[in-house]
Amino acid sequence: MNAAAPPPALATRALVAGYERDLPIVRGVDFEVAPAELVVILGPNGAGKSTLVKAIAGLVPIHAGQAFLAGADITASPVQEKVRHGLAFVPQTENIFATLTIQDNLQLAADILPRSEQAARIAEVYELFPDLAARRSACAGNLSGGQRQMLAVARALIVKPSVLILDEPSAGLSPKIVGEVFSRLKEINTAGITIVLVEQNVKAALAIAHRAVILVEGELRHDGPAATLADDPIVAQLYLGATPAGREEQR
Amino acid sequence: MSVELIAYGCFFLTVALTYAIMCLGLNLQWGQTGLFNVGIAGFVAIGAYVSALLTTPDTAGRLGGFGLPMAVGWLGGALAAALVSYLVGRLTIRLRADYLAIATFGIAAAVQLCALNLEPVTGGPFGIGFIPRPFAAEAGNPLLFSLLNLALLVIVVLLLYLGLERLVRSPWGRVLRAIREDETAALALGKSATRFRLQAFAIGGGIMGLAGAAQAHFIGFIAPENYLPMLTFQVWAMLIVGGSGNNRGAILGAVLVWGIWAVSAALIAAVFDPAQQARAASLQIAIIGVAICAVLLLRPQGILGEIRTISRHLPSRAGKAQTAESRPE
Amino acid sequence: MNPQILVDGLIAGAMYGLGAIGVTLTYSILRFANFAHSELLTFGAYAALALSSALGVLSAGLLAPLGPFSFGWSLPLAAITAMALTGLLALAVDAVLFGRLRARRSSIIVMVMASFGAALTLRSLLEFVFTSKPAYFTRELQIALPLGGGMRATPDQLLALVLAIALVVAVHLLLTRTAIGRSMRAVSENQALAGVVGVDVRRVIRVVWLLGAVLACVAGIMAGLLVQLRPYMGFDLLLPLFAAAILGGIGSVPGAMLAGLIVGLAEAGTVQLVGAEWRTAVAFIILVLVLLLRPHGLFGRPQA
Repeated sequence: MNAAAPPPALATRALVAGYERDLPIVRGVDFEVAPAELVVILGPNGAGKSTLVKAIAGLVPIHAGQAFLAGADITASPVQEKVRHGLAFVPQTENIFATLTIQDNLQLAADILPRSEQAARIAEVYELFPDLAARRSACAGNLSGGQRQMLAVARALIVKPSVLILDEPSAGLSPKIVGEVFSRLKEINTAGITIVLVEQNVKAALAIAHRAVILVEGELRHDGPAATLADDPIVAQLYLGATPAGREEQR
Repeated sequence: MSVELIAYGCFFLTVALTYAIMCLGLNLQWGQTGLFNVGIAGFVAIGAYVSALLTTPDTAGRLGGFGLPMAVGWLGGALAAALVSYLVGRLTIRLRADYLAIATFGIAAAVQLCALNLEPVTGGPFGIGFIPRPFAAEAGNPLLFSLLNLALLVIVVLLLYLGLERLVRSPWGRVLRAIREDETAALALGKSATRFRLQAFAIGGGIMGLAGAAQAHFIGFIAPENYLPMLTFQVWAMLIVGGSGNNRGAILGAVLVWGIWAVSAALIAAVFDPAQQARAASLQIAIIGVAICAVLLLRPQGILGEIRTISRHLPSRAGKAQTAESRPE
Repeated sequence: MNPQILVDGLIAGAMYGLGAIGVTLTYSILRFANFAHSELLTFGAYAALALSSALGVLSAGLLAPLGPFSFGWSLPLAAITAMALTGLLALAVDAVLFGRLRARRSSIIVMVMASFGAALTLRSLLEFVFTSKPAYFTRELQIALPLGGGMRATPDQLLALVLAIALVVAVHLLLTRTAIGRSMRAVSENQALAGVVGVDVRRVIRVVWLLGAVLACVAGIMAGLLVQLRPYMGFDLLLPLFAAAILGGIGSVPGAMLAGLIVGLAEAGTVQLVGAEWRTAVAFIILVLVLLLRPHGLFGRPQA
């Protein structure tokens, strides 16, 4: 690494992770994301994409290797600490608190900020998501799929993260809503937030990403600009026949 | 060796074997299937009372007895307990895992209450006496009498043991273990997983009822205070010490814990003056409690452990089952 | 029908409600039915008794009855210390037992069983120390005041009722209006997501133990004051507490209180109409009916 260059926003070194020690799902992944980059992680079902981002977020045990956030080692920090360091994660399913109101979902995320900044930050996020602002005292469980996804993203943005990781934000959404969610993500990225996206929806993801990596059997197999990857035979080879809406790693 | 000593040894072993039967029933429910029953005393009491009602001679002021043969009583007691187990299981097994525990806890309290208050059926606080004893004709010869009784219990335990071992090794038993160890497999089986659990719970309850019947006939007298929660705790201690999941362990644990219990009770009686005995006895129970916690923490497989399968209920693989910490999806 | 049923039922129900709130909170956050909760109640009551007697020995003036009540300053002072001790006990049991099992991701039923073992140990140790003989906070006799409509209640009973209502309101506000309450609701719904959002789940668990223990302690002291102290006092309350927590809906504080009152009133009615000997069957029948008709309770979320 060049000493003068800024450290990558997010990086892993030989990361090995999985629910059980003797059954690693991610097997030695070296992975870097530059500041303000939008990277998509692709790969067939069961390749370990979700496990990789969950391990970085602290939800799956890391057995070997390291994870860095802006150069700082976050391998051992517990899940609730990572968000304080600027790493926000949006899980694939159950990514909002359905029994809490929209306001409480956001307030919960804001609780880790200094008290004086909380209200202003929530107001800023409501400006980004006027649909949510209109229904702030509604129970989050009553939202539609697309609105839930927006709330999950809004909730993640509350803490002004430097890196935002999303696990299949398009899962279960109609194509029209997927378009809305992705264009929203592009805006957020353009504003300077680094985004890492795990996706099965290859086309939509490559359309907004700068770079794509492909994970196969827990190892990184390909890394290149998103624009060229869209026409790459390797993608066709990996995805032809694969169901784009399939879910991975069902346990 | 004196005749009295041998007779006492037989008596001790016979009582221990009645506990071993309860332990075998609990092992089927908990050891094989992972169903937590905190109401053992209730199921044992049902077996005891039903058998007593069926076999005692007609008594004025009380329902029955019907004076039926002893075998009918034992069978009836077991069936009644199995039926109640089935109903409790039916109600709760499809719900959260711990609702079954709460419901069985409630059943034991309700049975206790009925035994106390339904005087026309249960004899109320005075209980039921004159329950026919096996080999009563030989009562004049204490040695023969106690040996015959012991032999009967040994045969019952042996038959149960062989039957349960067969059951455990059958496809049915394998399904039970699969359900217990792998929630995904259980989910894949869906409704039939509930049915398998229910069957195991009812059979286990029936075995406890049989134990109650056997004990009632051996002692010849039953009363509500024989079936306090204490009994439940003792049977749990026996299974845990012997090793849950292992039928031989269940029997060994029953004999061992009953032995320790009897010796420590005798010790307390000898060491403490009568005023302090009840107090010292509470230490006995405290030790059971500590033992349960310690075994869960240190040696979840018990003394003998489970044959064939590695430790379950605890760490790693059991994580697939319902865990206390919700797992990230 | 005798209107006194209403008073008796409400007072017993308030006590059940307080205990059931503790059960429902720990259940919803820790995700298992804690059979040792009743022992926190017993422990709290006996701790208050021991401390109150000790204060009485130091200064007899502290035992002089306060206004219309049957107890002196020694009891409220002792109660505050007993709450702290009960909280410490809960944290200690969690550190030694439940926390370790949680760290291993033990199944729910192993946690239930551990709580069962802990309950046996605590109860028997209390019996060893304090013996099974009933004990009393005070020997003062109280005259029941007429409340109108043929109903009567002692000042102690009225105090217990007011205190219970005040505590329920306080806990409800804590849950709905504060950051820690928000965290508790979040952990209760989805522990993993709560961590992702930045909630320190372990801290929430500690707070829940403390809260549950303090409420149990108060309920235990009330039971001791209004009835008597026995090592099995908590154990005998376990079924009504579980019935109330499940009837109210696991996790719902207003639900637990309301259900506690329902159980209390149903028991009082049963005592009047059927007979005192069947009182303990009421909780079981309510439990069976809830599991049969509405397993998620009055205010709970339908969920497996």
